[in-house]
Amino acid sequence: MTHWDALSHVCGKTPYLDDLPFPANGLHVVPFDSPVAHGHVRALDIGAALAVPGVVAILTARDIPGENQIGGIIPDEPLLADHTVEFRGQPLALVVAESNAAATKAAGLIQAEIEALPVCTDPREAAARGDIIGRVRTFEMGDVSAGFASAKHVFSGRAEVGGQEHLYLETQATMAFPTMHDGVRIISSTQGPTAVQRTTARVLGLPMHAIEVEVTRLGGGFGGKEDQATPWAVMVALVAHRFKRPAKLVLDRLRDLRMTGKRHPYQADYQIGLDADLNIVAYQATFFQNAGAHADLSPAVLERTLFHCTNAYRVPNVKAVAMSCKTHVPPNTAFRGFGGPQGMFVMESALCHAAESLGIPTWQLQKKNLLRDGDVFAYGQTVSESQAQTCWDRLESDFQLAKRWQQVEQHNQTSNRYKRGLAVMPICFGISFTKTHMNQGSALLHVYTDGSVLVSTGAVEMGQGVVSKLRAVAASALGVPAERVKIEYTNTTRNANTSPSAASATADLNGKALDLACQRLIDRFRVLLVQDHGGKPQDYHFHEGKVTGPNGFEMTFDALALHAHFQRVSLSEQAFYSPHGLHFDLEKEKGHPFAYHVYGAALVETTLDSMLGTYSLDRVSVVHDLGRSLVPIVDQGQLEGGLVQGLGWMTCEEVAYDESGRLRSHALSTYKVPDLYAAPKEIELICLESNHSYAIRGSKAVGEPPLMYGIGGYFALRHAIRAQQKGPLAFHAPMTPERALLALHTPVREPAPQSVTNAP
Amino acid sequence: MPNPCRLMVNGEIWEGLVDPFETLLEVLRERLDLTGAKQGCSQGECGACTVLVDGNPVMACLMLALEAQNTQIETIESLATQELHPLQIAFVEKGAVQCGFCTPGMVLSAKALIDKNPHFQEQDVRAALAGNHCRCTGYTKIIDAVMSLSTGAKHG
Repeated sequence: MTHWDALSHVCGKTPYLDDLPFPANGLHVVPFDSPVAHGHVRALDIGAALAVPGVVAILTARDIPGENQIGGIIPDEPLLADHTVEFRGQPLALVVAESNAAATKAAGLIQAEIEALPVCTDPREAAARGDIIGRVRTFEMGDVSAGFASAKHVFSGRAEVGGQEHLYLETQATMAFPTMHDGVRIISSTQGPTAVQRTTARVLGLPMHAIEVEVTRLGGGFGGKEDQATPWAVMVALVAHRFKRPAKLVLDRLRDLRMTGKRHPYQADYQIGLDADLNIVAYQATFFQNAGAHADLSPAVLERTLFHCTNAYRVPNVKAVAMSCKTHVPPNTAFRGFGGPQGMFVMESALCHAAESLGIPTWQLQKKNLLRDGDVFAYGQTVSESQAQTCWDRLESDFQLAKRWQQVEQHNQTSNRYKRGLAVMPICFGISFTKTHMNQGSALLHVYTDGSVLVSTGAVEMGQGVVSKLRAVAASALGVPAERVKIEYTNTTRNANTSPSAASATADLNGKALDLACQRLIDRFRVLLVQDHGGKPQDYHFHEGKVTGPNGFEMTFDALALHAHFQRVSLSEQAFYSPHGLHFDLEKEKGHPFAYHVYGAALVETTLDSMLGTYSLDRVSVVHDLGRSLVPIVDQGQLEGGLVQGLGWMTCEEVAYDESGRLRSHALSTYKVPDLYAAPKEIELICLESNHSYAIRGSKAVGEPPLMYGIGGYFALRHAIRAQQKGPLAFHAPMTPERALLALHTPVREPAPQSVTNAP
Repeated sequence: MPNPCRLMVNGEIWEGLVDPFETLLEVLRERLDLTGAKQGCSQGECGACTVLVDGNPVMACLMLALEAQNTQIETIESLATQELHPLQIAFVEKGAVQCGFCTPGMVLSAKALIDKNPHFQEQDVRAALAGNHCRCTGYTKIIDAVMSLSTGAKHG
């Protein structure tokens, strides 16, 4: 089985939002955004803009009929800024025109008079001032003080990790149409149609049932369209509702880059304690998350940083503190991994610090401390069905870790200019939304009288292949060929109150609901078959488009559908699924938030040109726990794509704001995403087959976990640098060629990591 | 001031009035309704708008429509008028497609390579597709798909 949509894609026939027909009487919307990162808005001069031929109107906060509020978790973000702006790129007004060209031209003529206020882009500085969004969170287990007191070696220092631009190739895009009874129909390139519906209803002052949201598909999302597709959709809905005409907004790339949030940059302090046998006995960390100007999803992202702050390791005494720091950059948001990768990077930094100080390979420390069944995570969940050791063992045996390490070390002794580096990155990633209530999925199943099958769920297809998986589930459950199953676009009138397609959980939650719907329909068919032909329900089997039963009974699925219809048996089914047993107590910061964990390990090898700072990623070998993959080609694609995205985050992708809060990595010319040359020369995969009943038909969630293998890229490069430079070297990702060069050839000014060896 | 413009697109002549600043991409997408070429960045950086002009891959967002007169323009829509091009089959079978937004450009850049040099090697594929960004696949399966059509390679 391949990607269901692939054939349409290769023919250029797949309609993304900007490809959909748009009526000639439609209006085009371009947002005018703040040129200042922080300030009081004194005046908005729109005279010249209004005079541009084709301009219909310019809307501001005063034109909002409902509540000027789009904050999902915390209500702290206006759709259109009114008196105060808090980041460069914050929408202040909407230019509405007969053409996109006129709207764009007019937006360039608006003059904002803004009294500038001090700008803060540094999370530690914000924290020192007490500019915290939400509350400070603390995960604690055991007794860290006692743990550190008992440690033979204690190492402490700082780590810093940068943001990441999503760079979905399709920019934010949406259109809206006025409908009967004062409603609005929105088509949005969003991962969260329900969020769009709920927020539009709030801003327009309408009940949710007046707002229909449809998602055909996304040209990439990666989290960047989970919450941040919403404002644009609300804007076109506002225009369509007010002018009773269709409205469309497609952000150009430069606006998309400067107006939307990214992966959160983090700064952190860490301290790790090891006993004489190099077991981790204590770990303490404080995370300063750069949340940006508004909450967006930052508090939830922060939580996942804490959930994954000890990665795949057994740590008996933990204290991890984290806070979302308010700064004057666009609100940072969901991005594949959702805070987990940042937590893991700091843990890996601590381990690397310890290993470098002790003069041993980091992988020996990692291996020594891998999670085992019965261990407990800092948040109280007990480890079960751990694959950490299994993955590691396969990495050692099948990919010859020790031998390759030796080869690298030998190479570095004889090569002056080219230094090689190697690092291992084990991962353990929890599957479920950490907000327990979001773990729900729904499916609507119709069989038509010709036996063809139509499925609607809350899942949004964004390239991750969820429609291919759902199709496999329905075909298998109903015993019909996959060609007989169509997965319909995602629409809030067919599936209501859905969770966004996020948290790697989409296929599990919606697939399980679909499985349930199919099973109920089969049960109903069986009752009819028993009535008509006798025997017991379980005597009837559905396979290959047929039903077979006792005494050689055979009937096609198609004929059965028509027969059931004439017998006045419903051919439709709706099902709801929520995994049981999930809970989390926010007071105690303990619970059982994850249905299961996904494990794996990657070995990353790199070659660094120590004269230029440039490097290549030579080979990445991965052992990954896929479960029993429903559609292997889709899952392999997620593994490879996630890995390369993670490597990009750790190597060439550098989000840069200057002190005035202006995005300097403002375009694809100044922000480097991996191209064919930056991608690894070789990726090899071993997929383990484990099982878990919470995974859809045993096929484990695969969207986010592989991204974190990319962290190995940073540490492989660091290993290569260490072959030449033994002095202080800050833990600071991404390791761009520029940073690598500076690390190799200039003294490091950042505070050096510290280490203490306790007296015996 | 609109100028008369005559383009040869996918073997058919299109004539109309275009502004001097209108790009080939805008004319293809908005006038000819050929939406296979995508607008990803409008700066010639992402490659999603790639079309073939006289057999060479060109970023249609950087070429003015008036400049494209007297050339043969091929878009993704021309590739499967009768049956699928082997590249299209290879992209599907090798799983070289995820969200699909970069795919038309990738396929056309690869076609330009294959048409010129059927004995290409992996380094030729990297060079030919280096201007096309993909944010989903990590490129491995794209290289596999194109390499499977090389007559001079053991791969695939």
